[in-house]
This record gives sequence, C-alpha cells and structure tokens, in this order.
Amino acid sequence: MPTSAPPPSNYPTRSEDLIGRLNSVLTPYETKLKTLRELKNQIIGNRTKKLAFLKLGAVPSVVSILSSAVAENGGGSNLEFNEPVIIQSAAVIGSFACGLDAGVKAVLDAGAFPLLFGLISHPNEKVVDASARSLKMIYQSKLAPKYDFLVEKNMDFLLSLLNSKNENVTGLGGSIITHSCHTSIEQETLSEAGVIKMLINLLRGSLIQRDASLESLGAIIKENPGVISKFMGPENGRALNVVTELMKDRYPRTRLLACMCLIHIRNASLRYLQDAGIKTKLILILFELIDDPGQVGDEAPFALSSLIAEKEDLQKIAFDSNIVDKLCNHLEKGSFQAKRLQGIFLALADLCSKLEFCRDRFLSLKAFNFLTNVLTHDSPEVRAAACICLKNISRSVKNLSAGHFMNETVITPLVRLLQDTCTSVLIAALGAISNIVVDFTVHKSKFIHCGGVKQLVQLSKSMDSTIRVNAVWALKNLMFLVNSMCKEEILLELSPSMLISLICDPETSVQEQALALVRNLVDGPMDSVEYVFAEEGLLLNAIGRQLQSASKVEVLIQVRSDFSCSDLGLCLKKKTYFMCARGLLYLKVG
Amino acid sequence: MSYLLNQLNAVRHLAEFEAMATSKKVITREEWEKRLNDVKVRKEDMNKLVMNFLVTEGYVEAAEKFRLESGTEPDIDIATITDRMAVKKAVQCGNLEDAIEKVNDLNPEILDTNPQLFFHLQQQRLIELIRNGKVEEALEFAQEELAPRGEENQSFLEELERTVALLAFEDVTNCPVGELLDISQRLKTASEVNAAILTSQSHEKDPKLPSLLKMLIWAQNQLDEKAAYPRINDLSTGALEDPAV
Repeated sequence: MPTSAPPPSNYPTRSEDLIGRLNSVLTPYETKLKTLRELKNQIIGNRTKKLAFLKLGAVPSVVSILSSAVAENGGGSNLEFNEPVIIQSAAVIGSFACGLDAGVKAVLDAGAFPLLFGLISHPNEKVVDASARSLKMIYQSKLAPKYDFLVEKNMDFLLSLLNSKNENVTGLGGSIITHSCHTSIEQETLSEAGVIKMLINLLRGSLIQRDASLESLGAIIKENPGVISKFMGPENGRALNVVTELMKDRYPRTRLLACMCLIHIRNASLRYLQDAGIKTKLILILFELIDDPGQVGDEAPFALSSLIAEKEDLQKIAFDSNIVDKLCNHLEKGSFQAKRLQGIFLALADLCSKLEFCRDRFLSLKAFNFLTNVLTHDSPEVRAAACICLKNISRSVKNLSAGHFMNETVITPLVRLLQDTCTSVLIAALGAISNIVVDFTVHKSKFIHCGGVKQLVQLSKSMDSTIRVNAVWALKNLMFLVNSMCKEEILLELSPSMLISLICDPETSVQEQALALVRNLVDGPMDSVEYVFAEEGLLLNAIGRQLQSASKVEVLIQVRSDFSCSDLGLCLKKKTYFMCARGLLYLKVG
Repeated sequence: MSYLLNQLNAVRHLAEFEAMATSKKVITREEWEKRLNDVKVRKEDMNKLVMNFLVTEGYVEAAEKFRLESGTEPDIDIATITDRMAVKKAVQCGNLEDAIEKVNDLNPEILDTNPQLFFHLQQQRLIELIRNGKVEEALEFAQEELAPRGEENQSFLEELERTVALLAFEDVTNCPVGELLDISQRLKTASEVNAAILTSQSHEKDPKLPSLLKMLIWAQNQLDEKAAYPRINDLSTGALEDPAV
C-alpha cells in the first residue's frame, strides 16, 4: 500500500506564500518584481513583520535575486525589469537592516555587502541611491564589518565616496567614518588624508550631508587634541563658527550633532570653548532637545552626560536651568523606551554625583520611586544606569544617616541584582550597595537578612577582579561601625579562611579592600580584636605577611618587629592591634 | 502682496519711532500712504516668496507657469514636487495603502526612520477601513499591524485605543472620538507626510508667506498700543481702513 504524504498542518500564510513566490523558479520575473515591492511595503516601518520575514528566510531569497540581477545586468532577457529588480531588492535589504541587528546579521550572512558596494558606481542614479542607503543602514549597526582606513585602497575609496555628487553616497562615506573610526591612529590618518576639509565642505550641503558630516567629524575629533587643533586651524576656514551656527539649525538632529561636536572639542582640549556663554548655550539647547519625541530625545541626555560628567560648574548651570525637574518629568510620563530611560538615569546620575542640592531636588520630586521600579527593568543597560544613579544619590550623607535607603523597596531588588547575569549591572549594583550599607543607623541587619551578605561573599569569589574588588568594598562598608551581633552574622557567611584568601588576592586593589575590611572588623569594643586571632592566628599571619611583601616602608618596620615576638599575652595583643590599625591606616594602593 | 509688505515695514518703522511717546498718536490716511510709498520692496523678493509658496504647497502647474512668466527659479526640483503631491493627494482621498507605497518608492528611509509618521499613516488606514464599514478587516488590521506599534510606545497605544473606540459606537458622528472621521484628520495626516518628504529633501516644510502675514498682524497689534493709523484688517483684500478718530 503506497504511503501518502502527511496532510499539511496548516495552509501557508500570506507571508509564506510571498516567500514561496520569491524562491520559485517558476515565478515570472515581472511577478518577482511585484512581490519584492510588496515585501518592501510590508516591512518598512514594521519591526514585527521584519522579524517574521527574517524567520522565513526572506533575506537569503532576496539577496539571491539581487545577485542574479546584478550578474545579468547589461545582458539577459529581462532588461526591462532588471534595474527595477535591483532597486527593489536593494531597498528590501536596506529595510531589513534598518534599526534591527538581527536583520543586519542576516544581510551580512547572506553576502549582500559586496553586492551593494559594487552597485555604488552603477550608471542608474536610482540604483546608486538604493544601494548607498542600504549600506548606510548597515553601517549604523555595530555588526557592520570594520572599515580599515589604514589600507590605502580603502582610503581612496572613502575619499571618492565623500567627493560624490550624490548625497546618499556622501552620507554613506560619513556613516563609514562614524562607524569605524575609533583609535587615535585612525583619526590622524583620516585627518592627514584631508577628510576634515571635505567634511567641513559638506556642512554647507543638504540635510543628509550636514548630519553625516557632523557625526563623522565628531568621531574624528573625539578625545584627540592634536586632530582638534588641526580642525581649528586656518586651513579649515572658520570651521568652528560653522558648527556653532548649526547648533541653532531648524532640524533637531542637526542641533544635537553640532552640540556633540562642540562637547568633544570642549572635553578634549581646555584651550577652546571654555567661556560661560557657550556652556550655558549648550545646556539650554540640550535641555530643549530632551523633549523631542524621537531618537533625538533619546540621545540628548547622553550628550548632556558627556558635557557635565565630573564638572561641578556645569552641573550647577544645568541644575539652575531646572534640568533635574525636566528629566524627572519625563520619567513621570512613563516612557517605555529603554534607551531613553538609560539616558535619563545616567544624566541624573551625573547631576547628582557631586552636588547635594541636586540630590535633594531629585528626592523631593518623588522620582525615587521610578528609580526603584526600574531596578527590575528588562534592559540591562537601564538596570545598570538606575544603580549608578542610586549610588550617586546615596552619597548624600544626610539621607544615608536618616536611613532613607535602607528599606525593602530598595534593598530587595538590589540584592536580587547581585545575581544578575550582566557584569556591568553587577558592578553598578555593588557600587550602590557599597554606599547604602554605610548607613549610620542600625538598619544594616535588614540587608543581612535579605541575603545580601551571602551574595556579596559569593561575588567576592568571582573570576572577574572588578567584581571581586567591588564586592569586598561593599563588605568593608557593611562592616563599618556595625554592632557585634551583625559582625557575628556577617562572619557566618564570610569565614576567616575566606578573608585570608582575600587578603592574599592576586589583585592589589582587592588586598587593600580586604585589609580595610579587617580594620573595620576589629574596630569597636576591645574584644573585637579577638577576630584577628581567629584560625589560630592564621589571619594575623596573613596580614603580617601581606604588610611585609607590600612596599610601604613606615608600616613594615613597625609591624615586623612586633610580629617577630611570639608572646601572645594581652598587652602584645593590644600592641599588635594598634600596629595593625596604624599600618592599615598608612597603607596606600600600590 | 507688495501692499502687505509695505504695510508691514511702515508699521515697524513707526513702532520704533513711537517707542518714546506716551500718548497715542493719530496718523491720517494721507500721511500713512506717504510713508507706504517710501518703502521699497524688490520685485525679485516678492517673486521668490510666491514661488516658495507654490513649490512648498505643491502647485506644480502654477509653479511652472510662474517660472516662465517671471523668470524666477524654484529652489526645489519641480519633478520631485509631482511625486510629493501624488502622496499628499492619495492621503487626502483616503487611499492610504497607495500613499504608503508611493512614499516608499520616493524614499524608503522616510517611513523606516519615522515611527510617529508611520503610525499616523497606519492609523489613518484603520480609520478609512472603519469609515467604509469594513469592521472585521479593521479589527484584524488593528491587531496585526497597529497593536505591535502600541506595545513599543505608550503614546501610540493611547492613540490606537481612541481609534478602535470608533468601532464601539453605532452612531459614529456622536461619539467622543468622532473627529477622527473628519476630513480634517486626513488633511492633518497629509500635511505630516508632506512635511516629512520635504525634510528628507532638505527643504523647509513651511512656506514663508504665512509667516510674513503673521508678523504683519503682530506688528500692527504692537503699534495699536501706541498709535491710531490705517490698519489692514482684511488680509485677503489688503485694504487700509481709516483709524477711528
């Protein structure tokens, strides 16, 4: 009896049908063109559809059609439709790559990249437009292959792109620079090839050219005083003035990019843009850009962070313009966009990093609730940003000692973050915890009962030294001025042998924190010093060994002479304690 | 139009002059018209303003004719205007699918990088389905195409809910979100897509002429506090009306 094929479980969906038409050799060329156009119109603007079609293998199908069309170009029987097919398939590929890493990956894996580059010099302007746009989309993703400027042939090609009359092609040149220019060598190579002058010319071009130029200039001058002084040099005309004018351009994105250029110049070189006028202007423009509902509004807070980080004077100007209120208002609006949330919290973190009145303002606006809420956000970047913000706010001694941070809404999610899979979140959470556990009241037991100590001890065994040092730092702070009962509870998790291994850690920074932890441990009533004699004096020996091998002269001479004495009478214990304490006080990081 | 420009300039001059005075000065028609005549506005400038208006608003034939008659060059390629006008017209007629296809042919980047505009076009598409009584199709469309957008963005979700609410009412003309069915909603969407296309072509999305008129009205209001003078009250005629003495 012949076996029959199993019946189809469901009829093909419209999407599957579409892909089927693209793949089938029986589909007439004209229909393929129509189908490509249909696919393009379905996916543009529609992330969900892009993902769905990616799963159905749309990209390899389209790239294959593009590849055949390119191969046939000039000859073959489908002349009438050949170029439209190239245009539509290039547009489809570009759309898949637009803002979607999975799409970019699929496009690269399918081999579209070299095909598209080949089309840049096509005689049909529309073909050039389509391929240049698609390549630009690819280059906006981190997944795009790195462009090596140091190879002469590549540099020549890039220069030809920047020289093109076609604004999409020059825009592509700009995107390549923005994507791939990172090291100072690359920046200098580009500068020496005359790219800066070309980009400055493009600043007077169309919107696409201006924006692409501003963005690439930013990449070339970032953190490079040498290139910046070239940029400001006489051969580049009044480049700075042109960029400064663009700060007032009617398009928000242009304003943002111009601000970023100026911020890079300001940050890298103290010679330029230091007067009060420009500082205030930058802050006011960014202040207004934060309101933009689109991508510009997402990126503006990052620009603000870049401007004010570590700079108290700028933080003060920003505070005076009510930026804390504005940022908190945006939180209240319930924005879901992860990028925007991350930016807002990082900017707030910078604002609250040094200035107590910023922290006060933030806390008075009841924005703290938003902070604790996003500690459980899906995006690791948002979680990390929230932790950094929390860390900076908890620098407020006034609020720390009032015990505002040592409650369940804060501690519970924070302790949970100690098990986060993402390293940057872990480190940020440890930073926040380190501050919070310095709490001057007796609420530290809350942290201990939440399982916090267990997690910290676990993390102090991490392979990653940054995690280890931050974990021990937190333990050290927890141990600070804590009562005996808590000490006992902590030591239940943190065994003396564990402490010994931390003191002998390969990283100096970990050793330092561990020794300071011991100092806090023995600090307090007289019998606290007993802890140091745990494990039959092994701990004390470890401390002694460490102080010996470290190269701090004053410390060593005193301690060595004491340790050589084997009499463990009480007076020696006392003496040793004081020697240890003093030694630890003088110990500096190597 | 030169009349309006002259008026604007005259008003501004007088406002500056009268800044020092404390009581309201009265200016007769004769005096005013003399001042107006002293103001010189170049014909080329006026032509540019007219061309700018025709081109931005998309009056292709008028722009072509004006170009031939006045020798004024448009600051934008007239060929691109035709494409843009086709999109605008499609939206104004309620053919949203057609409009979206045309925008994507013109420049696929526009809708891919402009979530707000894309949402509004899709929303308009939904409105048209509801208007044509295609309830099931509308629901399916809302679920498949619009709901995912709503998930990505809170404000889209609220807009979507308002639009879907149209389906809940038998008599849509009386429902609280009834204005979505107005032609004005179509015009709003059409204007939005027109602006986006202009921006992508590096052209300013608003013509300059309306701004000048606004400035005239504002300047006259300012001067009203200091002087009584012949005013232009009807912009369409540009007629001077004598001051009340």
